[in-house]
Amino acid sequence: MSTYLRRAYSSFATHILDIPPRLLALLFLLLLLAFPLTKPRSTYLIILTAANMGAIFAASWDLLVGRCGQMNLGHALFFGTGAYITALLNFHLGWPIGVTIPLAVLTTVAIAVLVGFPSLRVKGPYLALVTMALPLIATGIVFYFKDWTGGERPLSGLDHFFSFLPYEQWFIAQYYFTLLLLVVSGIIIYKIANSHKIGVIFVSILDDELSSRASGINTTKYKLMAFALSALFASLAGAISAHLAHLRSTDIGMLSLTTTFLAVIMTIFGGVGTIYGPIAGAFILQFLQRYVLVEVVEVETHWQMIIFLGLIVVLIIKWPRGIAKFTTDKLEDLAEERPIEERGKHIWKRERKKKSSHEG
Amino acid sequence: MSTRLVNTLIEQIIIFGTIYSGMLALLAIGFTLIYGVTGVVNMAHGALFMLGAYIFWVLTASFGPSGVPLVQLDLGPALILAVILTGIVGAFIYRLVIHSIIEDLAAVLVATVGVLIIIQELMIIEFGSYRWPVVPLWEGFVTVWGVKVTYSQLLAFAVSLCLFVGLWVFIAFTKIGKAMRAVSQDREMAMEVGINTERLYMLTMGISSAFAAIAGVLITASTTGFAYPHMWDRPLYWSFAIVILGGLGSIKGTLTGAFIIGFAENAFIFILVELGWGGVEFLRGVVALVAMVIVLLLRPKGLFGKRIEMEE
Repeated sequence: MSTYLRRAYSSFATHILDIPPRLLALLFLLLLLAFPLTKPRSTYLIILTAANMGAIFAASWDLLVGRCGQMNLGHALFFGTGAYITALLNFHLGWPIGVTIPLAVLTTVAIAVLVGFPSLRVKGPYLALVTMALPLIATGIVFYFKDWTGGERPLSGLDHFFSFLPYEQWFIAQYYFTLLLLVVSGIIIYKIANSHKIGVIFVSILDDELSSRASGINTTKYKLMAFALSALFASLAGAISAHLAHLRSTDIGMLSLTTTFLAVIMTIFGGVGTIYGPIAGAFILQFLQRYVLVEVVEVETHWQMIIFLGLIVVLIIKWPRGIAKFTTDKLEDLAEERPIEERGKHIWKRERKKKSSHEG
Repeated sequence: MSTRLVNTLIEQIIIFGTIYSGMLALLAIGFTLIYGVTGVVNMAHGALFMLGAYIFWVLTASFGPSGVPLVQLDLGPALILAVILTGIVGAFIYRLVIHSIIEDLAAVLVATVGVLIIIQELMIIEFGSYRWPVVPLWEGFVTVWGVKVTYSQLLAFAVSLCLFVGLWVFIAFTKIGKAMRAVSQDREMAMEVGINTERLYMLTMGISSAFAAIAGVLITASTTGFAYPHMWDRPLYWSFAIVILGGLGSIKGTLTGAFIIGFAENAFIFILVELGWGGVEFLRGVVALVAMVIVLLLRPKGLFGKRIEMEE
């Protein structure tokens, strides 16, 4: 028994304690786990639940865009489709959530592969604009079937996860549930992004698609795989969000540009291509937007938005590597001296540099 | 359907399609110009469209948020002022936001969406989320083949064609136009022969914004007739569909794309209405986007996709 314990501890020490960024992540997780002990108002739990879902959503975007380089600006399509399918099945057919959510996720993955096919033919700004159009087409469909989907109005009155518990415990249970989901999917996404089988190939496609195809990689397959994996987690976030106790509804806004943009902002804020960056970004931005700007400095909603977006624009211009990337780089620099040229590589800058050398 | 009915249908489609396509072309021309010269996908174009309409409304309105007239200029000077002011705002956006991240496609996209929403929120704060009436530049209508066409629609169509011809002449024959083509072909080489690319980019952004303002005033006045904070969304998506269909950065492609989408949408709507399917008006946008996706499947760079080109 004690050998097992010792082995577990030594593995824990080498994989987590010795690596400063992971230690930081662990501390943050402990902080989140301990948060309900302070008996917070349910508003704060709701904010953190939203942050959990946003973090999964943003991390899935980062897997597709930051790692594989497929500039998808229609990520809301996956989020919204997941939410609408589970909602329709649950609302009209009365199927239990345990069935509808997996069904919604699987259907969305199938849709992602379907829309992935045409999207693979186009590149760069074309891909960005085509994917941006897809959620709009979906919105048109939702409006067309408004007898079923509710059209502009939310489809409310769905089931939620913890209806068997007394009301006071709903939000705590839901908070822990989404946190668990975040930890599990965060680790899975991180593992995929850094795996030797898939993650490396994704990055090779990001860096130079032609070369990776020349070295015998079926880039189409891997790009579709990136779409499918990304859609899996995004639709999971969407489907779960539709069944949260304080919402219990779908909303046409789930398919809007704003939803996509939320993932983009979180990712850029945290650091593109890092996977942990978007997760950190989600928490920091939720805290900033829904706590600091609402309760600390009380400003009007529209000014909130302006301050928030102004901050993002300034950040993109002045600090394009993202806040989490910056922190972990600093931590790693403290832990070991890294060569200067390794520091502060911005993943999209690299792509662009390559392009200009082609042109020149 | 009888032959007469079919004839009326075709006439309707031709007239509405032409007018509508002209307006769509007017929408997309600025968007394609800025991409063609600088390689920037400028999402703030929607905001500049909105800004143009709002400035025009502020300058001409007979009543403002407080119930009293704000400025009340004549329509002509108001239009010119709106265009110039929007052009200046556009140049500022280039200088403050796009300039330092122009190398990075994703950053430009995200930052300009940020600017777009900031301007929208500023409009809400300043004027509320009401619909403010924008007066048409020219009242009245004519009847062509039994179809009612307002003068302001005709004006938008004519201005659109004039702008296209003007832009073509500008790019083909003037010194600045030649510089624009040079920069679009090879930026570094252009710098080497002494073209001030930064100033040129700023100028292009200014011109593109001015086009957005013209489109904002004319299209708003001749279609919905109102300026409101979300008025940018449909025009912006239409401009995407058009410029992608025609090929980003190609002026000829923009005109072609506008006509394809304009006719496709009108044919779709009129035929469905004629067959007795009401309530399909909101599928307009969907038709445009589906057309775009189909074209891209066949030609991944659009019909005439390149950086800016010379049409012979």
